[in-house]
Amino acid sequence: MSESTQKRMRIYFTGVGGQGTLTATTLLSRAAMDAGLDVVAGEVHGMAQRGGVVESVLLLGGWCAPRLDPGEADVILGFEPLETLRGLSYLRPGGAVFSSSDPLPPVSAALGQAMYPDVREIEEKVRASAGLCRFLPCRELGLRAGSVQSGNTVLVAAACASGALPIGADALEAAIRKHLPAKLQEVNLKALALGVEAAGA
Amino acid sequence: MSKHPLLTGGRGERHLLLGNEAIVRGALEAGVSLISCYPGTPSSEVPDTFRKLGSDRYALEYSVNEKVAMEVAAGAALAGAMALATMKHVGVNVAADPLFTAAYIGLPGGLVLLSADDPGCHASQNEQDNRHYARAASLPCFEPASPAEAKEMTREAFRMARELQQPVMLRTTTRVNHMRGPVEFGELATDRSLVPFERNPGRFVAVPATARSRHRALTAAMRKAREFADSSRFNTEHGDPSVRTGVIVSGVSRNYLADALATGGWAGRVRVLELGMTWPLPERTLKDFLSSCDRVLVLEEGDPLLESGVRELAQRYQCAVRVEGKDELLTEQGEYSTTLLLRRLAQYLDCPCPTLSSAAPAAEGLPNRPPNLCAGCSHRAVYYAVRQVFGDDAYYSNDIGCYTLGVLPPLRAADFLVCMGASLSAGSGFARVSGKPVVAFIGDSTFFHSGMTGLANALFNRHDLMVVILDNGTTAMTGHQPNPGMAQEALGDTALHLDIEAIVRGMGVTRFARVKAFNLKGVMAALEEMKNEKGVRVLLAEEPCALYARRQFKKGATQVAEVKEQGEEALRCLDTLACPAFYRDGDNLAVDESLCSGCMVCLQVAPRAFKARKRG
Repeated sequence: MSESTQKRMRIYFTGVGGQGTLTATTLLSRAAMDAGLDVVAGEVHGMAQRGGVVESVLLLGGWCAPRLDPGEADVILGFEPLETLRGLSYLRPGGAVFSSSDPLPPVSAALGQAMYPDVREIEEKVRASAGLCRFLPCRELGLRAGSVQSGNTVLVAAACASGALPIGADALEAAIRKHLPAKLQEVNLKALALGVEAAGA
Repeated sequence: MSKHPLLTGGRGERHLLLGNEAIVRGALEAGVSLISCYPGTPSSEVPDTFRKLGSDRYALEYSVNEKVAMEVAAGAALAGAMALATMKHVGVNVAADPLFTAAYIGLPGGLVLLSADDPGCHASQNEQDNRHYARAASLPCFEPASPAEAKEMTREAFRMARELQQPVMLRTTTRVNHMRGPVEFGELATDRSLVPFERNPGRFVAVPATARSRHRALTAAMRKAREFADSSRFNTEHGDPSVRTGVIVSGVSRNYLADALATGGWAGRVRVLELGMTWPLPERTLKDFLSSCDRVLVLEEGDPLLESGVRELAQRYQCAVRVEGKDELLTEQGEYSTTLLLRRLAQYLDCPCPTLSSAAPAAEGLPNRPPNLCAGCSHRAVYYAVRQVFGDDAYYSNDIGCYTLGVLPPLRAADFLVCMGASLSAGSGFARVSGKPVVAFIGDSTFFHSGMTGLANALFNRHDLMVVILDNGTTAMTGHQPNPGMAQEALGDTALHLDIEAIVRGMGVTRFARVKAFNLKGVMAALEEMKNEKGVRVLLAEEPCALYARRQFKKGATQVAEVKEQGEEALRCLDTLACPAFYRDGDNLAVDESLCSGCMVCLQVAPRAFKARKRG
């Protein structure tokens, strides 16, 4: 457990099983490692991946513990708005939130047994709590880039471009070129450009 | 052959690896020749990574259960190979019989057992602490806290297993198996030669006379292992030697401790003994540490095993030290966390705990999102049919796999569940005393794991049981690993497909039907016919897992369900089938085309409400 002089940061990822939350976590982890940062990522695999909530964490700069408590995250990357709201208590005061604004209703809500909260209300609640808050239409932007899944890259790119992370969009671009299979690069580079654009908007 | 860095990367290369991938690299650096396993979260990525690498440097097998996996690995280690057996914590219960006696006879090639524990029950039926097994069976035990350590300790475990000729346990927990971190590679093994087997029935044939003398040999080996623990580079002390306030910590808790000390700014206020090789206890190291402390706090998830050992040593060596450990904060349940250790350390150090506030309180009243059977999952169709035929009169004995998710409403297809394979045997016992109809559900992989013995017993003891084998052709829950029920084309030429019908009939089942799971009429007719009969009846319901079919056989949906008539029938289908591709749109039912797999079960449940449309 080496001492590090880097700025320490904890990033909390949340999404729905099958959405690609873990793939996005790994891509950002690789980008951070290539940028020379100390990296630990924590994932939970298994049963949750059948349509349940999938959470993961990325720790930068020397943190070791791959499990977060409420108030420990500096940044939340939410790939689904309800899950962003559910995970909001993990955010420290003044932290940043980047979230998709496209709902994937859980079965109970889809069947009309529970109410999916209004997305505008989710956004308002998050905005009132976070130091920085960005909701993006990741599904639409992902489709524009070439695949729904690349909506995750849109969100990660927006977070990188905003300056909230110690990893810039250029480092993410390099990671896409280095670590993603050739056939996925073009779509993800497009998604990255859309995310950077959205961050500046 | 794969050019994956795990297989080709040289000394000094640094890669970001999952804990389980790091274990693979460690085994390759050690010179592993055989890997056997039964998949189970959080262990599965170890064999799955070996499978993906597909090298001829080692033999890999998905055994039918953990006992078999352990025995195959033990046989390989008897023949002189380094062998790795991987399983989840509850799998070690299944493997315990060969494990205990393998430790007696000793295994010259070297066997490492990966026991992947699951504190917090992320994907398990209990959170048992398998460090008990290290103690009960006399296995040296390593507990990594990071991927880098997982690799190093795997390598060291193999070295020790071969030197002592005793099985060694690598005990991980979910957070370590699924942690990703940088790992620096060492040299890959080039020498994988076998230790020649020398016939010696006086050692290797575990009859009473042998067992008595081998028990003494085991005790001697563990004395040697204790020496190793005392000199292990994985057991380290840090902090100001003059500080007399100690912390002893092992496993994943070391991460929480490091972060808590950094957050509290308390690194200078405690002396820390970190244990990575945790059994046998490094007695001299602990004695020295305890003798130089006034107080120690023991941090370990799970049961107070390290704590009990520390208390025993303090008493034996008459150390004037106060030992603290499990209490109302540090419980035996679930996982530790940084915040938990911050609070406990603040008490221990008698200083204020840094206040941790959140940007927002935990949101309440949000709709939950439990895991669910997928759209197009054949289990949903069979459960629906069984409930239509048996209703609430029958009791439903369930088993372990994706299909356990049938417990959720509206299917409610599980009244009890114990462990792998228990659906048939616990169902038999339940039926015998309750006199009620019992339906036992079991998947294909679980049937081969330990359902076959339950079936033989049900026949032998003339139980009354309706058995439904949910055969989706793969081990779906853990990530589509092979099992003997998998189609031959998917298994390739390294494994042989076994026919479930032939096995069931061969055992003596006479009331048998084989149906397509999506043929609702066929499933229900077969069930109706067998419903009121006595004895063992078996329905084999077949349909490949939808996810697996899409990935492995590139079978996409050719059609999609469309609502043709709204109304009562449509809404009843929504309520009783609850396919995740359905959603309510006001008072109407709608189908999410991107989720619909085209199974057309809804069309059979509610023929007036749905029609099939070709995908264009």
